[in-house]
Amino acid sequence: MQFKQNMPQNTLSNLSQDHEQEFSYGFLDVHAKKEIRRKLLKAVAIPGYQVPFGSREMPIARGWGTGGLQVSLTLTGGEDVLKVIDQGADDSVNASNLRRFISRMTGCKTTKLTCEASIIQSRHRIPEELLRSDQILVLQVPDPEPLRSIEFNTSTAMEMHGYKDYGLMWLKLYEQLVRYGSFIQGASYPVLVHGRYIMSPSPIPRWDTPKMHQSENLTILCAGREKRIYALPPHTDVKPLEFEDKFFQVEDHADWQCRITQLKNKFMNEIPVESGGSDFEISDTGFITRVQNKGDDPSRHEGECYYSETGEFYIPGFIRQNKAESIQSGIKD
Amino acid sequence: MYIAAKGDEDAIVRAESLFNRWLEESDPAFIEKISKSLPYLVDRVMGEASLYSPELAALAIVQTGGDLSETVLLLRAYRTTLPRLGYTLPVTEERQSVVRRISAAFKDIPGGQILGPTLDYSHRLLELERLDGELPVLNTDANIKVDPSDFDPCPDKLPFVTQWEREQGWLPELSDEKEEVDFDQVPDLTVEPLKIPAPRAHRLQSLARGDTGGILTLGYSNMRGYGAIHPTVNELRLSHASIIANHPDTGDEIDLGKIRMSQAEVASTFSEKQKNNHLDLGYCATFGWNEIKVIAGSMLDMAMNLPQPHPSQTEEYVLYHTENVEASGFCIHYKLPHYVTFNSTVDNLRRVSKKTENNAI
Repeated sequence: MQFKQNMPQNTLSNLSQDHEQEFSYGFLDVHAKKEIRRKLLKAVAIPGYQVPFGSREMPIARGWGTGGLQVSLTLTGGEDVLKVIDQGADDSVNASNLRRFISRMTGCKTTKLTCEASIIQSRHRIPEELLRSDQILVLQVPDPEPLRSIEFNTSTAMEMHGYKDYGLMWLKLYEQLVRYGSFIQGASYPVLVHGRYIMSPSPIPRWDTPKMHQSENLTILCAGREKRIYALPPHTDVKPLEFEDKFFQVEDHADWQCRITQLKNKFMNEIPVESGGSDFEISDTGFITRVQNKGDDPSRHEGECYYSETGEFYIPGFIRQNKAESIQSGIKD
Repeated sequence: MYIAAKGDEDAIVRAESLFNRWLEESDPAFIEKISKSLPYLVDRVMGEASLYSPELAALAIVQTGGDLSETVLLLRAYRTTLPRLGYTLPVTEERQSVVRRISAAFKDIPGGQILGPTLDYSHRLLELERLDGELPVLNTDANIKVDPSDFDPCPDKLPFVTQWEREQGWLPELSDEKEEVDFDQVPDLTVEPLKIPAPRAHRLQSLARGDTGGILTLGYSNMRGYGAIHPTVNELRLSHASIIANHPDTGDEIDLGKIRMSQAEVASTFSEKQKNNHLDLGYCATFGWNEIKVIAGSMLDMAMNLPQPHPSQTEEYVLYHTENVEASGFCIHYKLPHYVTFNSTVDNLRRVSKKTENNAI
């Protein structure tokens, strides 16, 4: 299929549909792409700030990655290599569907290997392998507003961001400590971006949250339904909210071993088995493929991981351990 | 079976063809038949899709087997591929040919009450004879002679009831100078995000394309007693409206055709916001003939001006949650796998319960 390139002039004949071609390049019409590109620049210029944009209806349902999809369609050119993952898996139906659509609309190549991709659209995971400066991570976001649980009114929440009025957020974390003895936020653990904005990292597990800190790659987060774009340019400080004496913790998968690769210290899927108990599999299917294919073509398997084989995060001291996990709970009597 | 949520393109194609297996084959004649025999369904879909095309709406209804959330999504997604070329002129009363127009506020109104096409006063009885291929007997009274060809056309340029009310001093005077509006500067919800507080244009556009059921639900919650207003239907009108645009080169007005549209205006006195002894008005208009939506929508329009924090009086609550495509899409997204996020939550559950055990010892 041949695509008409974006026309430079807004003449009627250029703007109206070319009937020999079903859709314009990248599906979105030129005005939509132009707007999204401008908003992307603004988002990159103000890390962690949610930029409202005129999110368009896409041919997949809202809440299924329409935000990420619009960004990917806007960024992807014919030379790009695209990877799409959903909960870590390349082969889930939704990931395949998005990958198929983007490559159909842009003519880009696709891959399941992280190291080969130039654009990675993901729902709820950051790959295990360190991303590079020539890669862009596009995260799908269901709820961009980290303050929603404490302030449901969006215009008030916007003011709170404006004044950096985050006291209630800290109070919420403190209350969790008092009631449960630890932070009980699961995925979407809130982060402070470069000392300014509190940001939702999208529902990635806590295991993935530190990967955003001082990353080499550009990360773009986009919520289609909620119509917000925000971004983390490379080398931005991204710190999970924590207290000086009570630290953010990643999921404890240290004792879990992948039944396919026999590896440990990667984010695992827990798979209940009929006999009771669980089996475990590495959630990042692209990483499993890489491990399995090792030796076929070594050049395709370069790249280190964020977590070493013994579980150490690649930036020493960034994830701190609480003194004793058995520290007394705040609940008394 | 969980494995069903994996399996690449093959699974997608097979699942879609299974869906289609339960639909009967349809041809262009059938699609045309849908558009002509179910115009109120088509109207509802066109309103929520904010795309006026009876033909495409009928196609979308058929293609989705009548799953209306999917129907609207399909049309909205098609809409995304179309560039916005320009804006048409406002639909004023001169550009409407009215077929139905009533006011509950007065026994009679300038221009007259026009009942028009409606089922309001019909007996809701199933016409079972249709199943046997017989024509239903609509009229059992031999004295009433119905000949569709002798319906009087409505007078042109029917004035709005508000015009008379304004003359009574119940509404603020409009300025004599005709306000010049730059239509390119009117906020356009189809290409802009909805921000709260919303510009009035966004509010009315949001109601116009909102989910009929959602607007009815929130509107009804307000009408039934949660709301602080007790409005009267000042005017409800159904019309064929002429769509006029300026030619991009010559600037001449060109007629693009007619669309069906509905409008409702409700009025209330002595509400909390009301000032200067004037009437308060609420307004809603939409593509197609959809009276329930515009009545409930106009009441919500009025209710959203009020300070009381009931959900139906809160812009954010009403406008965000009656957006069909977003609401239905987010609802069905829960079918997507969530095992990573679930694991992250369960990790905390284990951590906390371990601690509680330790403390108990």
